[in-house]
Amino acid sequence: MRYIRLWLSLMRLSFRGAPVLTAVTLAVSVLDVFVVAGYAIAARHLVDTTVTGPASVAGLVALGVAVAFALTMVTRDMLFNLVGTVADRVGRLELNPRLHVAIAGIDGLEHLERQEYLDRVTVLRGAAGSLMRGCWGVVATVCGIGKLVVTVSLLGSVSPWMLALLAFAFAPILADARGQAAVARAEVRSAEDYRLQQDLFDLQVRPASGKELRLYGNGDRVARAQAEAWDHAVSQRVRARLAAGAWRFAGWAVFTLAFTGALALVVRQVEAGAGTIGQLVLTVTIAATLQQSAQAVVTTATDTAGVRRYVEPYLWLQDYVAEQRQEPAGTTPMPSRLDAGVAVEGVTYTYPGTTTPAVRHVDATFPAGTVTAIVGEYGSGKSTLVKLLCRFYRPGAGRVTVDGQDIAGIAMAGYRQGIAATFQDFGRFAVDYRTGVAVGDLPAFDDDDRVGSAIEAADAAGVVAALPDGVRTQLGKDLGGVELSEGQWQRTALARSSMRDAPVILVLDEPTASLDALSEQVVFERYASRSRRLASQNGAVTVIVSHRFSTVSTADQILVMHDGEIVERGTHTELIRLGGRYAEMFELQARGYENKEKKK
Amino acid sequence: MTRYVRRAVRLLRTLSDLGPGPTAAVVALLVVAALMPSGLAVALGLLVNAVESSAGTQGSGPAGVSAAAMLPLVGFAAVYLLGYFAESLVGPLEYLAVSRVDRAHRARVAQMVAEAPTLDLVEDADTQRMIREVEADPRMGFDRTPGQGALGQVRALAGLVGVLCAAAVLAVHAWWLPLVVLAPATLNRFLRNQQAVVITRHWQAAMSGEMHADVWRRATVDAGAGKETRVLGLAQWMTDRMQRHIREANTPLWRYVNRLVLDEWSQLLLVVVGLAPALLLVTLAAADGSGSLAVQATVLSAGTAVFQLLGSSGAAHRIAGGDAVLTTTAKLAERLRPTDGGGHGPRVPGRGLTASALSGAMPVVTFERVSFRYPGTERLVLDSLDLTVGGGENLALVGLNGSGKSTLVKLLCGLYRPTAGRILVDGTDLADLDPGAWRSRLAVIFQDFVHYPLSLADNVTLGHGTPDEALGRAVSQTGIARVVDRLPDGWRTPLSRSRDGGVDLSGGQWQQVALTRAWLAVERGARLLVLDEPTAHLDVRTEAETYERLAGLRGTTGSLLITHRLATVRSADRIVLLEHGAIVESGDHDALMRLDGRYAEMFRAQAQRFENDLSGSRGGTE
Repeated sequence: MRYIRLWLSLMRLSFRGAPVLTAVTLAVSVLDVFVVAGYAIAARHLVDTTVTGPASVAGLVALGVAVAFALTMVTRDMLFNLVGTVADRVGRLELNPRLHVAIAGIDGLEHLERQEYLDRVTVLRGAAGSLMRGCWGVVATVCGIGKLVVTVSLLGSVSPWMLALLAFAFAPILADARGQAAVARAEVRSAEDYRLQQDLFDLQVRPASGKELRLYGNGDRVARAQAEAWDHAVSQRVRARLAAGAWRFAGWAVFTLAFTGALALVVRQVEAGAGTIGQLVLTVTIAATLQQSAQAVVTTATDTAGVRRYVEPYLWLQDYVAEQRQEPAGTTPMPSRLDAGVAVEGVTYTYPGTTTPAVRHVDATFPAGTVTAIVGEYGSGKSTLVKLLCRFYRPGAGRVTVDGQDIAGIAMAGYRQGIAATFQDFGRFAVDYRTGVAVGDLPAFDDDDRVGSAIEAADAAGVVAALPDGVRTQLGKDLGGVELSEGQWQRTALARSSMRDAPVILVLDEPTASLDALSEQVVFERYASRSRRLASQNGAVTVIVSHRFSTVSTADQILVMHDGEIVERGTHTELIRLGGRYAEMFELQARGYENKEKKK
Repeated sequence: MTRYVRRAVRLLRTLSDLGPGPTAAVVALLVVAALMPSGLAVALGLLVNAVESSAGTQGSGPAGVSAAAMLPLVGFAAVYLLGYFAESLVGPLEYLAVSRVDRAHRARVAQMVAEAPTLDLVEDADTQRMIREVEADPRMGFDRTPGQGALGQVRALAGLVGVLCAAAVLAVHAWWLPLVVLAPATLNRFLRNQQAVVITRHWQAAMSGEMHADVWRRATVDAGAGKETRVLGLAQWMTDRMQRHIREANTPLWRYVNRLVLDEWSQLLLVVVGLAPALLLVTLAAADGSGSLAVQATVLSAGTAVFQLLGSSGAAHRIAGGDAVLTTTAKLAERLRPTDGGGHGPRVPGRGLTASALSGAMPVVTFERVSFRYPGTERLVLDSLDLTVGGGENLALVGLNGSGKSTLVKLLCGLYRPTAGRILVDGTDLADLDPGAWRSRLAVIFQDFVHYPLSLADNVTLGHGTPDEALGRAVSQTGIARVVDRLPDGWRTPLSRSRDGGVDLSGGQWQQVALTRAWLAVERGARLLVLDEPTAHLDVRTEAETYERLAGLRGTTGSLLITHRLATVRSADRIVLLEHGAIVESGDHDALMRLDGRYAEMFRAQAQRFENDLSGSRGGTE
């Protein structure tokens, strides 16, 4: 039932996106059913008029038969081109953007972080064309069944007994459906292996991974692992197809035997003088036609079976998006300046599929106009806390407030507009340099001054100066552009996050991990002054996550996290005096910079 | 004509990857399927003949059918059953055949890339576009692969056998009849084949636009980028952007397909022209008594078979696509051919030195006035650089972002060839060394080290076989045990979210995996350890432990450490500073601090805030 609704909705989409092409394709599909029947009828007429005469009429009918057959060739070829292109076009132009907006528009991150969800969205990202082909495959299957029914019904004119063949026509249809279900199951089962071999192939041919494979000389091993995964996937798929082939043959064998019996009936009728040879020719022609359309149905059905692999994720996405929409969306606007600040009140969050909370019972305030640093070893929950501030997750318990108001009640778009953030695993977008920065604030996308000062703020002017075409330089070597070094990418991401000019929450997650010492200092100073400016301008709070104690020591407050809890909090001086975890880690790093004689 | 033959031969040759048995089976089944229409034509002719001659007489055979009609009837059923049998079996076999051919093809492509003499050839944009074209992975739903091409070719040839047979059936009735039917049928096929070739060309032209679209296809499902795109509200914007690329890339193809659909009248005409005269002739002959209904039925059946068998457009597209892939593959092979160029003599693998003679010793690598620029660019990344690395020395390389440190590492590994100057390993030019032997003496962590979508164990040991006590020692050298403890299935846990039971690690955990990988290489005899920013994402404690162990290698293994955390290079035997493509400062920490140059400036920049604190006062500028 859901499948029917799915195919109908895709067909509606096709009509909306390419009305003419879709209508023509559907029309030709239906026409094909009748063209085939028409040819069979014409063939019977030809034989009959040849016997009854006159010759001139028979000649005309012969011409008609040629035209009717030519039409079957034309419709077949047209369908091949039309179905391919309409599926391709609607898939790429209509379904693809809808899929991507749906995936990218989900407010949370869970679908990108949980294995079973990520699996599905990864499959879907390139599935638009296949889904549309699946939709047309269903049309082809329905038309194929229609052809079977129409042509066999034609035989009813020879003898009403022939209509009994209709019952036998279900043998191949049902047997095929059964076989195809097995194929579809095998496709789903082997999807993981298949994707693994794709990933392993990519490792072998992409330059970044290629250098390590060369160095460790493990290309052979990766190739072997790839071949194993491929074989594993393919052998399952071949086995399923063989089984489907056996079913198919069984179905058609039953039908052929019944059909031969019917043919014998016609022969007897003709020999008894009760029928014409034309009827005999009609019967045989229909048998031949059926065989050809059976082939066509099977070819498309095999495609459709492959498509089922995409259907489940697609339906899942629909449900998931619907479910997300059902959650009460906030409506209050995000304040454009903070008076009190941001507060985390008794927040606990456990990642779905895990049992240990990543953060538990965390209470913290981020007063307006202050800088807070969060430190801790990895796995301590500091990134999770930051993500909760960005509303990527909903707390399992407790709440996050902005000026006393639960952020769940604030409209998401406005809330996010109020944030400027840079993350440890920032995006590396292979576009021209300017675009990579300017997307940091879409309303200011065309503002060259803003882009320029964002680049300045991230100390990236030097990066741009070294690019062959300045800010217009395409990034990414495999797109014919320039490859940036890790530090240069990081500065690009920092520039991007500097685009927004009036955020009230600034998030910096390991902002300088890959920067050189001088850059780090420049960026640090510029960000510090930006924080101060925004703090006095609109009471903005800044949250820095860092392993570098040099970048956190000047913060107004420091939160030390361990195992999902805040274990120490205070200013740098207070924490050093406390002599706890923070002091210990700080000492460890500071020792490297001690300004005294080199140690032994 | 020869072009077609050459094309066919090249495609068919790929069937050697399938093996003789399956090839024979596929060919036999396809030929049987192709002979079916002729068989039916004959059976029909015989049946009509039998019925015609016995018309009006009550049948005497079983089921009231005359004995004369019985044989053709049984033949008819047999032909059908055989045909269905062939078709049912040929589908799975064809799938297997295509998979095997494509598997071998993909392995060849990977091999080609692996054997490319230098990495810059692989990095080249054209190379990557070609690889994408020939990767023969229908992930975008296209079936343009050598396997598809080869099987399309087999189908077309089997069809040709069927056509000849059908033509023979026609010729029995009149010798010229096949010519009347075949000429327009062949022309029709030729036109459709041309169309398939043009379509394939359009598909190739769309490749580069599709790669630009891929940037956003990937961004949608990337968790890291996903955080940014959400904060920035980019969902609609990046989709629009992707769509623009897709539309631009494919519009020519779609326009051409529109024309094809409108062009179908030519096919209508050609089929009518081919079939009508023959039908007309046999019909008139049957009508005036000089021919027979049996002949008419046979000619109708065999004539239409000729058109059908000359191959569907499907086969033509598969052939054109497979052929295009093989052509590009040949160009790619030419491009990546492992012979030397650029003024260097031909490389003699392993000349002068063998791996075994080298193992155990700590190599000394000397850069002699080495310059390097990336192909197609103007800027010299390295400019007459002189440097000696290794020999048990604990060397640190520092410099600003983009100063060429990572490039230097790639040159050291022999992944690039210098534009000018040379690199010597223990006095022998690196270009003359067997790359495999040289690389086995190195343990390297690149900044963008590989995240294998395999188990943790494989991630650590892939280069060096199964776990053994060397692994145990390597494990004890890094904090990896802590990572293992957190994994659901320990060492066997796949490190990829897209695998069943797989998990992804954090940046810091991945760095520990990479460190263990490098440490294992040292345990197995690598004597130069190169670490490019190995601890950027590690927490303080783990980082400190890592450097303590690194210091312990002194005297047994040379090391080259690249980092921006200058506290960690302080204890190096020697620190060199790379700027403007050359080494501008060299010495130990104290010497460089006394020199008061760029290094001192960088060190002070980082130390400053710590110093403020160490002196007891609250740091910062408030």
